[in-house]
Amino acid sequence: MYEEPYKWVEAVGNRRHYLDEQFRRGSPVVAASYADGIVLVTYARGTPKLYEIYDRLALGGMGHPADLERLRFTLLEMAHVEGFNRSPSDVTGSRLLKNGLAPIVKQAFEEIYKAPFIVKILLAELGVKAGRDTFLTMNYDGTFEELTGCAVLAASASAQSSMRAWLKQHGHFNQESLSQVLSICLLAWGVGSLAQREEEQAGTDSGRTASVSVTADVLPPIPERDVVLRHIRQAATDMSVECAILARTVSGPSKYRALKPNELPDLLSLDLNPAANG
Amino acid sequence: MGMQGDFFQLLKEQGYQFGTGPLGPGGQTLPESEITRGTTILAVKYHDGVLIAGDRRATAGNMVMYDRTDKVLELDRYSVMAIAGVPATAYEMARVLEHSFKYYRRTQLQELSFEGKLRALSKLLKENVPAALAGTGAVAPLFGGYDVDQEAAKIYFYDILGAEFEGVEYAVSGSGSPMIRGILHYVNTWGQKPLNAQSEEEAVVQALRLLTSAAEFDSATGGINREANLYPVIKLITKNGVMTIPDDRLKSLFEEQVVRNV
Repeated sequence: MYEEPYKWVEAVGNRRHYLDEQFRRGSPVVAASYADGIVLVTYARGTPKLYEIYDRLALGGMGHPADLERLRFTLLEMAHVEGFNRSPSDVTGSRLLKNGLAPIVKQAFEEIYKAPFIVKILLAELGVKAGRDTFLTMNYDGTFEELTGCAVLAASASAQSSMRAWLKQHGHFNQESLSQVLSICLLAWGVGSLAQREEEQAGTDSGRTASVSVTADVLPPIPERDVVLRHIRQAATDMSVECAILARTVSGPSKYRALKPNELPDLLSLDLNPAANG
Repeated sequence: MGMQGDFFQLLKEQGYQFGTGPLGPGGQTLPESEITRGTTILAVKYHDGVLIAGDRRATAGNMVMYDRTDKVLELDRYSVMAIAGVPATAYEMARVLEHSFKYYRRTQLQELSFEGKLRALSKLLKENVPAALAGTGAVAPLFGGYDVDQEAAKIYFYDILGAEFEGVEYAVSGSGSPMIRGILHYVNTWGQKPLNAQSEEEAVVQALRLLTSAAEFDSATGGINREANLYPVIKLITKNGVMTIPDDRLKSLFEEQVVRNV
């Protein structure tokens, strides 16, 4: 059936369309640097989406939980074997993702007789000093991007662009406190989630050819803060905030810490505080 | 094996071989003078948890190889292994365990139980039996940790074949240990108060005095060298995790409460 090249291209195109549909109702993920480290945040319905990978590496994911688990285990195995055989400082997000994960995901995406990974990955790597943090994102087709300051995952390229635009407009990364950057990230989540919902409602196909390496040429207008806040409050009725940090201030080699729900009220601004908003 | 969080098994699948393996019939063993060993390590319960300490000397035969060895190794936030025996094997064990505990926590999204940690050390010692019998890899460690589930600090000691014993109030190992084992028994039985009633400061001063006593009689145990600012490694394990006593504090406690008796 796919022995002719054009049919293969068509099949890959169909697969891209299918995969984009799978992410439409997914919850975006936001990660950004602050003065003492990196914060990762999302809203989740029960299944966790943020994980510890290695001493200075954290993972955020969107997609099918079983696929995310498979890739998480692959990352964990690669990181720990490398850290044991060489040294923990040789375990870098860049090597794990570019040399390890991306080829596996690309191959699965292009082998049209097999199931692809329904997953998008964000790897955050804590630098030894402020300003040296790095972020990597990878799409379901294995394309990856290396970033500094902040990174996002969302269902479509345009939603991701809106989130990044919001973050760049409001954040001064590496300078802010955890509390400040957490509020900015949650609002960026709201911008992305709202964009996804509008795309879904409009039935547009603006994101259907999305790839993390593609930036939408024309940004959709960024919504007002009040609109975003209203959307977040609505989302918070059936989802809860999941937040983790990689902090240089955490003692010992492992810098990852998942924030407990009871820590969040002290960190969030009043209008984002679930406790204050019932 | 990743699904079970077994890092040691994962390493084996990748071709890793722990220990030196069995030596053939009539196989050669290294002369005693070539093998680095000799030490004093101790673990004692005190009021808030467990103190675990070790001297800093590594010897091979009559030769002092190094006087700043760290034999008290933090495996994770709640567990510490002190090593006696062949350091090459002991450090490898500590590296395997440290990675095993981290790998389990990160894959299974929960901490390995205290019993699971003990079992992991036992397993490594059993894997190491051929090297232990050959004389090239004998290790007799102490394991001190805080059992978060049972809210209790515990001490375990092992023989070189991997047998596990719970040292209820204290445990010692290494060439200098016979010198201080009797002292600990005496203090715990007839002292002013039992070991587990001692304060943190009393426990630290006692550890400094015990290691100084061991160094007095055992040439393979390094003493305290104030001129070189050389103090033992002493760690405390409590419900708050592992804490290392800084050299400054050891120096002042040594000068105030130990040195006058040396």
